Amino acid sequence: MDDKVAIVGIEYSQGDDLGLTRERLCFRTVRGVLDKLGIDRHAIDCFILASNDFLEGRTISNVFEDGPVGAYLKDETKVEMDGINAVVYGALRILEGNYDTAMVIAHSLCGHQVSPYLQVQYSLDPTYDRQLGLLNELSGAALQARAYLRSRGLDEGWLDRAAAAALANGAANDMVTRSLDGADESKVASSSYLYEPLREMHCYPPTDGACAIVLASAGRARELTDRPVWIRGFGSSIDSYYFAGRDLTRSASAADAARRAFAMAGISDPASEIGLAEVSDLFAYQAPLLAASMGLADADEAPRRFAEGGFGKDARLALNPSGGALSAHPVCATGAVRVAEAFRQLRGEAGAVQAGEPRLALAHGQDGLCLQQNTVVVLGI
Amino acid sequence: MEGLMGSYFTPAVPMDFGYNYRLGAYLERYLDGLKEKKILGVRCSGCGKVLVPPRMYCGGCRLRLEEWVELGTEGELVEFTVGHVSMSKGRLSQAEPFTIGLVRPDGAALPLLARIRGADPAALRPGMRMRAVWDPDAENEYLVLSHYEPA
Repeated sequence: MDDKVAIVGIEYSQGDDLGLTRERLCFRTVRGVLDKLGIDRHAIDCFILASNDFLEGRTISNVFEDGPVGAYLKDETKVEMDGINAVVYGALRILEGNYDTAMVIAHSLCGHQVSPYLQVQYSLDPTYDRQLGLLNELSGAALQARAYLRSRGLDEGWLDRAAAAALANGAANDMVTRSLDGADESKVASSSYLYEPLREMHCYPPTDGACAIVLASAGRARELTDRPVWIRGFGSSIDSYYFAGRDLTRSASAADAARRAFAMAGISDPASEIGLAEVSDLFAYQAPLLAASMGLADADEAPRRFAEGGFGKDARLALNPSGGALSAHPVCATGAVRVAEAFRQLRGEAGAVQAGEPRLALAHGQDGLCLQQNTVVVLGI
Repeated sequence: MEGLMGSYFTPAVPMDFGYNYRLGAYLERYLDGLKEKKILGVRCSGCGKVLVPPRMYCGGCRLRLEEWVELGTEGELVEFTVGHVSMSKGRLSQAEPFTIGLVRPDGAALPLLARIRGADPAALRPGMRMRAVWDPDAENEYLVLSHYEPA
């Protein structure tokens, strides 16, 4: 896609306990991006919220956020999925021609407000899986981790090294929930088992967070910033609801989502054209699994290279220099944060986590059990 | 994740309510089968796969499934995990280690997630033969198929 829709501003925060009400968190995040752009809420044509009623503990929870985010008396809609889908929705609303600007606000408070596992647990079939009580986000991920390790000939020590490599990236990012100074795998290996082979530090930490992203049409984007980041392509795909029937050693829906996004972006060889990828790796095995499924890396080589830090800031493909979702997973905002990280990287504004000078970047978000649903956005400058 | 906390700054608001779901004809027939120590699946006339637990449509072929098939009470271990925590209403609590696994009943295309007992987890391998163990006095219909053990 040519220069049609751009991201012009971002603001996000995340941590284990931001100590804010959700209203204050949303207000502060939106205020932050409006101030960066030097505009007020009247410059925004439509608002798209991404949150989860179950995690908020209220039905139609977005109506209580319309005040704090400045959406009152404006067009406001909601995506009850990861916020990266709100970014795609915003781009579509602008492409459709009725709006020149869209504000995406994604958030949740799973650091202290409520368990982050609720969302997946209550997406399971109430008449079967929830009656048996064996399946949940962690036991499902453990079965996928085992299947992945087995398929690639890896042992549990690899999981420790992969988590340590991801968390070491997070140490350079001042906005994460969990990180490690240096790739210290012994700390990972000494954390408690949840479901084997997954230990606590192989799994994402409960996180508070919010992310605001402003999108604009080409003409409006150039008025709002001299460095718009263009949306080149996007794609999403969803696999079977029944996880037991899927090939857990890869993600067919991540592959499909990426294929659609690359086709739209005119990318024929993603492994050589994409310089930076931010993926929502909720568990330690997921970053290389996703990179391989999406055609960014070789399936055999990716796991070892990732655990050795071979996708670091100086690599041809920098994979999750922010620390990824393993360092912070604000449910609903995580994929939007990946978009925000890609925005920072493409503009050379990522500070300590800046990975060279990427020209094309990929952001990824997921929902559901064992990478069921995946959305990919390709961004360029 | 700590439990619900009661303090001035974080008032706990418990939500606990029940739903009475109807199971639908397919799952009702499956549970009736368990009471007779039978594992029932449905065969797709398109791809030929036998799906279990039974459902009305094949997602891949988009066809209605009509042919009921009695599957083997033995099967093959596909994958397993040892749990050290259990989850209830999103909250984790420590548990004595227990094993759960995906077991594909003979004749089925899909595995069932089930408890695995009577085996040292260190000795479990994918491809191992397993057999269903029944508990007619189980507290609910789902647990009549109590667990699998090595055959």
